[in-house]
Amino acid sequence: MNKIRIISRIDVKNDFVIKGIHLEGLRKVGKPNEMAIKYYQDGIDEIIFMDAVAAYYDRNSLTHIIDQACKDVFIPITVGGGIRTILDIQNILNAGADKVAINTKAIKAPNFISEVSKVFGSQCIVLSIDAKKKSHNKWEAYFDNGREPSGLDVIEWAKKVESLGAGEIMLTSIDAEGTKKGFDIDLNKAVSEVVSIPVISSGGAGNEEHISNLLNNTSVDAVALASVLHYELLSIGSIKQKLVNNKIKVRM
Amino acid sequence: MTHIAIIDYELGNVKSIINALEKVGANFVLTRNDSEILNSDGVILPGVGAFSHGVSKLKEYSLDKIIIQYAKQKKPLLGNCLGMQMLFTESEEFGTTQGLNLISGKIKKLKTLNSSFRKLPHVSWNEILEPTYLAWNNTIMEGLNSSSNMYFVHTYAAQPDNQEYVLSTTEYSNYKFCSSVKKENIYGCQFHPEKSATDGLLIMKNFVKICKEFQDG
Amino acid sequence: MVRNYETYYGLPNKVKFCKKCVISNQRPSSTVEFKNKKGESKKVINFNNDGVCSACVFHEEKEQGIDWKVRDKKLVDLLAKFKSEDGSYDVIVPGSGGKDSAFTAHLLKYKYGMNPLTVTWAPHLYTDIGIKNFQEWMHTGGLDNILYTPNGKLHREMTKNAFHNLLHPFQPFIIGQRIIGPAIAKKFGVKLVMYGENQAEYGNAIEENSNPIMNMDFFSTDYTLLMRFGGVTMQEYIDSGDYTKADFAPYIAPNKQDLIDSGVEVHYLGYYVKWDPQECYYYAVENTGFEANSERTEGTYSRYSSIDDKVDPFHYFTTLIKFGIGRCTYDATQEVRNNKITREEAVYLVEKYDMEFPAKYFQDFLTYIDTTENEFWETIDNHRSPHIWGKDAEGNWKLRHTINANGLDD
Repeated sequence: MNKIRIISRIDVKNDFVIKGIHLEGLRKVGKPNEMAIKYYQDGIDEIIFMDAVAAYYDRNSLTHIIDQACKDVFIPITVGGGIRTILDIQNILNAGADKVAINTKAIKAPNFISEVSKVFGSQCIVLSIDAKKKSHNKWEAYFDNGREPSGLDVIEWAKKVESLGAGEIMLTSIDAEGTKKGFDIDLNKAVSEVVSIPVISSGGAGNEEHISNLLNNTSVDAVALASVLHYELLSIGSIKQKLVNNKIKVRM
Repeated sequence: MTHIAIIDYELGNVKSIINALEKVGANFVLTRNDSEILNSDGVILPGVGAFSHGVSKLKEYSLDKIIIQYAKQKKPLLGNCLGMQMLFTESEEFGTTQGLNLISGKIKKLKTLNSSFRKLPHVSWNEILEPTYLAWNNTIMEGLNSSSNMYFVHTYAAQPDNQEYVLSTTEYSNYKFCSSVKKENIYGCQFHPEKSATDGLLIMKNFVKICKEFQDG
Repeated sequence: MVRNYETYYGLPNKVKFCKKCVISNQRPSSTVEFKNKKGESKKVINFNNDGVCSACVFHEEKEQGIDWKVRDKKLVDLLAKFKSEDGSYDVIVPGSGGKDSAFTAHLLKYKYGMNPLTVTWAPHLYTDIGIKNFQEWMHTGGLDNILYTPNGKLHREMTKNAFHNLLHPFQPFIIGQRIIGPAIAKKFGVKLVMYGENQAEYGNAIEENSNPIMNMDFFSTDYTLLMRFGGVTMQEYIDSGDYTKADFAPYIAPNKQDLIDSGVEVHYLGYYVKWDPQECYYYAVENTGFEANSERTEGTYSRYSSIDDKVDPFHYFTTLIKFGIGRCTYDATQEVRNNKITREEAVYLVEKYDMEFPAKYFQDFLTYIDTTENEFWETIDNHRSPHIWGKDAEGNWKLRHTINANGLDD
């Protein structure tokens, strides 16, 4: 078993870190570079920067933040939000990021996934899936930051993106995210069972039990945390220690 | 002043390497110029992506020949991730492709090494273990605890023909694979030291130190 | 070339946009709706000499000039006057369980220890998410509620008239919604009614902002038979033979003197608490089981603002037709003032979403107001003021002036 990666997800808008609920709302909670450095020093394994409103404004504009972050923070950095072209990816990687997360563009043009995974390598391409529950064991994929339904079944879509060359999947439960009430276990179980690429689970963590519960009941490979870290409800150290106590391997 | 050349062949996360070198305090240049490379005190070959694509890009700029020539000078060379893989004889990614053959051995998909692998690429922090026959003193691993965590993201791994060159092993899904190599002056890390927090930065720092020592004679 | 076009509704002839937010000078202030008759002149939002709207000015004042501790003390003192000791209701909170009323009612109960009775004037046509949030308001929020649904036949006819006569389908609803608070208060012997936001937030007369008490004219009258619904007086409805005065029971505004005598006071919580609609959203999610919609609302980018009524989108579509101001402009304007988005972003969003036609519930709406599609568009087009709308070379209706200065005449 791999060590589970504990990842910090940082949503950015206009140079502020924001945190919503159900991917809605722009409440400011801090400054991105400060938070990235803090989490790095506290032992986070990776950072994901999401441009929270790129979908609105047809652009990704995090390069200056990434540029600075990569000078201070020496762990893998993923950047997502509004990535539409090969040049967008090139710019982000040139700024020092390691991976990019793509959602809307992939839904609108699935062949984009194969195109960019050939150019940059699969390991660079994280497919971001925002899932909303429709009925028992059925979820629909949304795009434009949780605004528009795609009509795609999440399980089928996950299988498809793997076959097109995605290196990882970041799976966000729209229903759970921001609520701090726990992960959507069924969703994470269903997706991690049908793909053989790593799955990062995002959305819903409120306490350490939620995380242990997720890892003990699904085969996801990483957990992305936002609210619990940004609102300082939990520390990275205590999360990792509790996981180790629960016999879950993490980097200490 | 110790001067390090980072090979520029339009592949690889050079910014990360640059940031790391700046952090540990080293002079460097990003280049594909033959005399700059040959005259430097140390060379880093970065790389991310497919083996065949990497090799063809090196050849496009005649960098394959230059690197081999550089290596003959016995000056320190460090290959990271794809950079390490390309030091070897050949890879079976997307059909067989020839590498630089500076170290004899093949690059094989992690899956074929042991069919119980479930998830690929291997994306995770994982421990590198000091081998019994090759101490880490005076290598780029100096000062690290055996079982330091490094960041891995790869689907393929090296199988050196000569076990003596294995500088560290790592276990993934119940199977041990070679996670770094040392053949005289040539080093390779399958993981990304420039992305492996303070332990990784120590490796980068050690490499710079080795380059300096060589320069001082 | 500057031409002088005819201007309907007594609106300002020259269209201007606020320099700070994205509202235009065509935005009407709140009116006493049951006096609203066809062809009336509208009072509009005020712009100062710097081209800044009164709502932005008020917002600046709010940010800098108000000591919210003092306001909180005022609230505590006010509530102390009305707090019940015997377990009876002591404040009426009108609302639908959307983020604003959810916040208001829950805060009053759980922070300030009051015993609120929430009162809902039923939406015309509930959406699924609307019913869900409404019930969660009770079940998770822990509140009591009376849902008041007026006679549908009459309400539909009024709405139809309001649409065709005033291009203001929501008018009867607004009348009822404003009356229900004080009316229920009177019936239950409760003296305090607390609404959420003060309409002045959005550009009503500034004097109203220094006054926590809602102007009684909004919900009381001495001349019930002359009240107008959809531009038609109550007397005229009765004269038609289809309705009697009894059918108008829900809409009969309490007698002014009666209200004064019974000591009923209507306040805005927004006077006492720094009002931020987005923070109301967060509060509602965390405390009353509120959930944003899974889809973007047509005509805007928002997913949590006013999502419980299928007719709601047509309210905003008609403001677009009459004033050139669509739903997105309203949402974006508020978020610019509250520092959630920049003006540039607001302009971008307005350009992207303001003109979007609310297709999803179009058929439901047509059925509700017993109107054909042709009739709908005929009424719509008749209400386009020539100073706001013009036709392009292909014969399509276009705004003459837009926030991005790319209208027909810009």
